[in-house]
Amino acid sequence: MRCEQAGRMMSARLDDRLDHTDMLRLQDHLASCSACQTTWQQMKALDLLFRSAPMSAAPSHLHVRVTSRIERQEQARRAIAGGLALAVGTTALAVLVLIPLALSVVDNLAVAAILLTGGLETVTQLLALLDAVSRTALILLNQFSLPFAVLSATSLLVALALNGLWIATMRRLQAAHR
Amino acid sequence: MADEERWIDAARRGDKKAFGHLVEVYQTPIYNLAYRMLGNRSEAEEAAQEAFIRAYRHLDSYDPERPFSSWLFSIASHYCIDRLRRQRIDWLPLKEEIAEPVRLASASPNPEAVVTDRDREAWIQELLSGLPPTDRAALTLHYWYDCPYREIAEVLGLTVSAVKSRLYRARRTLAEQMEGEAYAL
Repeated sequence: MRCEQAGRMMSARLDDRLDHTDMLRLQDHLASCSACQTTWQQMKALDLLFRSAPMSAAPSHLHVRVTSRIERQEQARRAIAGGLALAVGTTALAVLVLIPLALSVVDNLAVAAILLTGGLETVTQLLALLDAVSRTALILLNQFSLPFAVLSATSLLVALALNGLWIATMRRLQAAHR
Repeated sequence: MADEERWIDAARRGDKKAFGHLVEVYQTPIYNLAYRMLGNRSEAEEAAQEAFIRAYRHLDSYDPERPFSSWLFSIASHYCIDRLRRQRIDWLPLKEEIAEPVRLASASPNPEAVVTDRDREAWIQELLSGLPPTDRAALTLHYWYDCPYREIAEVLGLTVSAVKSRLYRARRTLAEQMEGEAYAL
């Protein structure tokens, strides 16, 4: 038997996984090989050393730390989800308010653009252009629409900025608690 | 066991208190596994926390047909193996860095009286630190958890014959390290 095979048998022997025949073969080999005898003694000593070592007890606060980390992570996740919902909601609201105004402006500007690119050949066309431009101006300058549009655009920007800040803060908090 | 199944069931439904009971039951085995693998108490604590948190997040993937302990060991040992692989530069030269390992007093008629628990711990950790991460995990699961080959194979994602080979290789390596030392405990 080669020493390599004897070594594997020694390992199996330590785990009580060696049958009687192999045990006899191992004994024969050990009787004639001093190197393997040394290895066997070392392996047995190692086995005893490891078997005699108790489990290392967990620190008493481990359980509390795990549960509080889980709780904090869930809070942070809920806060991020809430922030995202708020961002989506405020963005949608601001966009809904701005859409009709934007559509009117775009419509009138489109008419003006068509008239300009097609060339102004008649007085009627010139009047139509003036009508489109003035309508756009009226929409934008309307005493109700203009402040409302400014307010909506501002609230959209503020909402986006606040939500961005919220998400960044929550991420930082979550990272700090890891 | 019935309690454990109830806690697992409740924890899978999001009951953090039930999961807390599981943490209480397994905190020492998981911490010990991490400690034997990483060789450092503060890293072991961090790894144990991370293993439990990962387990909580992935409770849905737990197969109730398997022992919960094996599933947890699998999470913890893979986390530690990954961590050690990331720190490979740290653990490879460790053997050379250890200045004066703890030795047994060979002249003593009763070495057990001489070797304190702390010395024994230091020696064991020194020996383990010289092994590749997966061999370290296999040896730890074998000696401290009395896991059969099949369970070690499941936990580490190896075949049974690979586990036998790794145990043999680890023992052989450690036996060589003990050469010249007073090893008669």
